[in-house]
Amino acid sequence: MKRILFFLAVLVHLALEGFSQSTKRASENYIDATFGVAKSQGALALSYVHSWKFGAKQKLGIGLGGRFTSYLGANQYYATAPAQLTSESTGPLIIFKDNITANIDTFLVKSPQVNSINLSINIDYQVSKKFTAGFNIDAIGFSFGGSRNGNYINGVSGKMTSASPTPFNILLVSDNDRGTLNSEFYAHYFLNKKWGIKLGAQFLFTEYTTQTQVQQFPQANDRFRNKPLLLCVGVRYKL
Amino acid sequence: MKYFIILLFAVAGCTANNATPTKPVVSSTSGFDASKATLLKSGMFVGLDGPTTGTASIYDQGGVKYVVLDPLNANNGPDLKVYLAKDINAKDYIRLGSLKSTTGKQSYAVPGTPTISDYNYVHIWCEAFSVDFARAEVK
Repeated sequence: MKRILFFLAVLVHLALEGFSQSTKRASENYIDATFGVAKSQGALALSYVHSWKFGAKQKLGIGLGGRFTSYLGANQYYATAPAQLTSESTGPLIIFKDNITANIDTFLVKSPQVNSINLSINIDYQVSKKFTAGFNIDAIGFSFGGSRNGNYINGVSGKMTSASPTPFNILLVSDNDRGTLNSEFYAHYFLNKKWGIKLGAQFLFTEYTTQTQVQQFPQANDRFRNKPLLLCVGVRYKL
Repeated sequence: MKYFIILLFAVAGCTANNATPTKPVVSSTSGFDASKATLLKSGMFVGLDGPTTGTASIYDQGGVKYVVLDPLNANNGPDLKVYLAKDINAKDYIRLGSLKSTTGKQSYAVPGTPTISDYNYVHIWCEAFSVDFARAEVK
């Protein structure tokens, strides 16, 4: 948590620095629409980003933005979400830990549909006059969507129950993350000064909280996460 | 529109790869022996997603409970499982495994030591698509 707060503080500092030096530092605003798809699931993301340019040739862009993501799927398997269960650890070294499969149960959602609005962090680098490579990730926000029926499966037993999107989203470390968070790696091509297209991969976490704590072993749990990798295409318009 | 997209996804995900075998299973491999077992409950299947007919029975054989489907003629589908459930909607169930075949006698050992009187339904459940294919009320 401290690391995330520090990271956010650095970003805010960079943003303020960008503001204070706005007469010298170039910046740009753009809006972006991206559609991601994988087997039996898809997502539409709409973003607004303000990006400041850094470096001698101002090829590095660091920006903050807002992103609305709407995810839709069919018959998707969600897995136990909390790091305390998946890795029996919540520390920063969790990224080096293997999942403990005995602690991970499944929640099968027939028709998941989750919407999220998050603050996004955006980094890109202008590779050539026409091409930019970039990465973005949601940091904090909230999710909403209707209640869905699902099948909690724990080996030889199970329960049918309903679940709703986990309302609060925050990017932490590995499975410490909470809620619905979108991220993209992409290559962007400028069609002209205003319009561009992009192609990339979207890594989208969506999370449901069950009505009751259906998982009881090794400890009670009601949060289940799906982590699909989607092929994404998008368009961008520079404001 | 949203439901049209969901339907497209569902159709795309429904492949023949995980369909249930249609040849009758060799029942002697399951450990169930009707001559040594006591019938506890029984009921007829009702097809809910396509035609399914047959009988589901629960036996006790030396303390081990078995769910026996005999006869069975089930509608085929992907990822079919046998659930022994407490209620008509399978809200709380024991998962007995994949349906061994859509036809013929087959038996499933019930894991653990559940109170069988609490379990009143046998479901044939399409797990991947959350569809109740057939159920039998056993009493």
